[in-house]
Amino acid sequence: MPDLIAKDIQKQLGTAQVLCGVSFELKPGEVLALLGPSGSGKTTLLRSVAGLERPDKGKIEIRGKVVFDAATGFEVPAEQRGLGLVFQSYAIWPHRSVFENVAYGLRLRHVANAEVHQKVGDVLKRLGLDHLAERYAHQLSGGQQQRVALARAIVYNPPVLLLDEPLSNLDAKLREDARAWLRDLIKQIGNSALYVTHDQTEALAIADRVLLLDKGQIQQEGPPEQIYGEPTSRFSAEFIGSNNCFEGKIVEVSGRRARLAGDGWTLWGTLKVEKNRDTIGTGLVRVESVRLADGAGDHRLKMHLKSALYLGERWEYVLELGDLRLRTWGETSRPAGEYWVSIPPDTLWIF
Amino acid sequence: MNRTFRSFAVVTVALVVFGPLGLIIYQSFLSEAFFSPTASPSLGAYQYVLADSGFHSAFGTSLLVSFGMTVIAVPLGSLLAFLLVRTDLPWKKFLEPWLLVPIFLSPVVLAFGYVVAVGPVGFFSLWTKSLLGTIPWRLYSLYGLIVIAGLTHVPHSFLYVSSALRSLDPSVEEAARVAGAGPWRIAATVSLPLVLPSILFSSALIFLLGFELFGLPLVLGDPAGLLVLTTYLYKLTNLLGVPSYHLMAVVALSIVALTFPLVYAQRRMLRTAGRFAVIGGKGQAFRPLPLGAFRWPAVGIVLLWLFVTVLLPLIGVALRSVVSQWGEGINITEVLTLDHFRELKNHPNLIRGIINTLLLGGIGGALSVGFYAIIGLAAHRWQSRWVSFLDYLVMLPRALPGLIVGLAFLWVFLFFKPIAPLRTTLFSLWIAYTVVWLAYGLRLISASLLQVKPELEEAARVIGAGQGKVYGDVTLPLIRFGLIGSWLLMFMMFVREYSTGVYLLGPGTEVIGSLIVSLWGTGALDLISALSVIEVVSVGLILFIALRLGVRLDA
Repeated sequence: MPDLIAKDIQKQLGTAQVLCGVSFELKPGEVLALLGPSGSGKTTLLRSVAGLERPDKGKIEIRGKVVFDAATGFEVPAEQRGLGLVFQSYAIWPHRSVFENVAYGLRLRHVANAEVHQKVGDVLKRLGLDHLAERYAHQLSGGQQQRVALARAIVYNPPVLLLDEPLSNLDAKLREDARAWLRDLIKQIGNSALYVTHDQTEALAIADRVLLLDKGQIQQEGPPEQIYGEPTSRFSAEFIGSNNCFEGKIVEVSGRRARLAGDGWTLWGTLKVEKNRDTIGTGLVRVESVRLADGAGDHRLKMHLKSALYLGERWEYVLELGDLRLRTWGETSRPAGEYWVSIPPDTLWIF
Repeated sequence: MNRTFRSFAVVTVALVVFGPLGLIIYQSFLSEAFFSPTASPSLGAYQYVLADSGFHSAFGTSLLVSFGMTVIAVPLGSLLAFLLVRTDLPWKKFLEPWLLVPIFLSPVVLAFGYVVAVGPVGFFSLWTKSLLGTIPWRLYSLYGLIVIAGLTHVPHSFLYVSSALRSLDPSVEEAARVAGAGPWRIAATVSLPLVLPSILFSSALIFLLGFELFGLPLVLGDPAGLLVLTTYLYKLTNLLGVPSYHLMAVVALSIVALTFPLVYAQRRMLRTAGRFAVIGGKGQAFRPLPLGAFRWPAVGIVLLWLFVTVLLPLIGVALRSVVSQWGEGINITEVLTLDHFRELKNHPNLIRGIINTLLLGGIGGALSVGFYAIIGLAAHRWQSRWVSFLDYLVMLPRALPGLIVGLAFLWVFLFFKPIAPLRTTLFSLWIAYTVVWLAYGLRLISASLLQVKPELEEAARVIGAGQGKVYGDVTLPLIRFGLIGSWLLMFMMFVREYSTGVYLLGPGTEVIGSLIVSLWGTGALDLISALSVIEVVSVGLILFIALRLGVRLDA
């Protein structure tokens, strides 16, 4: 039985349709990332699950129990859903110590005092916060606050853990460490988790499965490798990764393959949608899939290297041929000039 | 639980606001006082009042005074706001709390202070006369009333203009400086035009307060035969021998007819005010504009205003309370005495008045803050059409001067027999005070509530706290300092209040303010001065505590 089922969730805010019928399931122990640009409805979806927003349509079940059903008007209030939620701003209560923040959920559940101390102590120790128990929010660093928020959400063992961009307020360096640490922790406690983020790297790194949202609709759903490697729509392909995107005319179609041509160039790619000959197509290729080659060959173009930018751990080359403009990466500085560039047809997607 | 709680809040507020107002409207259409057996529906009261030449001249005087004091208070208040918020004026930290002090002083005490300080035989008048041989001013005159009303209302425009200036992005002024403008030019061409909505808002407010003036025109206008609408209403009380409630109701409604559109206009202005200003939002430190050679003249303007508006009347009151008599040819060192304070204990009603005032301020103030907090919480994060109804409801009492609210509640207690016994208890005053200060008190509460981020409450809900628990464990603890600050502010406002208690005054409901008003009619200057000193000292002590606790006065 899934931990969480959401069916056809719809929500309108003002005149904007924020969610247009989103359905998904969360299996026990699974980490599901809700990924999308701002305004895609991912936070509204999370808040609907938590009971902080009321969807206009749809049905939500937690561990087989209906908590919301628009058809019957039934709604379990947020405080009775028993979920854990980590807020983007952490929302640590400034008038309570770390210990009292974490203990609050247990006290509401009338847990005996000795057990409260033991459980809170365990969680704080596990998150490396045991020495900070008596501190207040303003005495904590951002990373510590984030861990307190997490401790507060998991201490009473909720069936589903909800996380709303939990890492976005940390600085970049800390965020990379926290990513691995957070995934390990969720896996250890064995909870299923719904994780909202706009950061694709974070979503790919942390989740078992990614739900890609745009304009209130699911664009694609699948494990991270599939989301990155086999995008099914132009939005999925463009939203994830660093991309080269260019238009051309489809001059030849053969099965799943098509040839895209422009001013002075022609390239074979893979058709991702139905396209006919002599129509305009959009080619999309990940920056890392474009390679400099040592000589002429199939699926190669001779391009002019216009500039090389130093990015620290790598160089970025800007290449041109007629109206075609490509970016790619390499390890060394290169002078401007003519180079052969390889673009395998499997990596060039045509929409 | 939430539903009951919220409906309770809306119904209660509607009751305490519409009840008294409805009774005034009802009374205005009767031929006599409502308790008279021969009272019948009639437009006679309207015909009488609207044809009365006394009413016409009071109306004209009110209009003149309102207009005049706005013209004085707004430019001066805006100038002081610019000097204190944006420039390197010396002694800023020390001067700032003093600028708001007049708000916490009772106008009737101030007016009395002016009489004994600069009236025809006031201390400063006679000292000036002995120097110059003549007194170059006349306190009992229309212009005397306008100037004093204007000066004492400077804090109201200072309050709004300074808070707008504080949120103004300093870089717009720095840009003008870099382009070569001096501080006065920056004030006139950049800063003040950018906070124009706040200036207009405070103008509307002061114009409105002009119609509600009571203490100042009662004390300063009366000897010159000047009546404004409120004092005209007050004089009507005994005009016909029998209570002329129907006439008073018409006059009260005529005042409301003037103030209500102003309150409504203010609300509209507040809504558009945000669009105008360039809000910095980052609150970064900025260098104050250097005044250069104008530093000392500028501080001189502030100190002169402070002297005339605060020190002059207070010195007058204090001196008058320690001299046995005063007049031409008296040497002050020979008449010093503390007898006036000793005399108080021979008047049990005055002693009760002092105790009642402190009870009403301390305990009543706390209860009112509790009441406002309940209303505030009911409206807090409530997405409903009822919230804007509630908003309109609480702004309504702002159009009702304390004098009229007190009168209306007197009628309520006379009209509804079951609650009649409460009229002679402090409860009648408390409920009238609570309604008069409803808008102010709720603004204090909602300012605190606004600072509670929604996630802090949502976090508690998701963890499993019901609405009541969320209020008790998160919301209220988070705003506790705001509540204490609100209590201290209400304490001061209740102690200084005078007009609301005028009609409710009776055995058991004496308070210092309304006692002063009634004593003024008998000319008991000795007792008035002693009571005034006690009131000012009480307010001063609370103000001192509030400032030590860091309570913001400019709420």
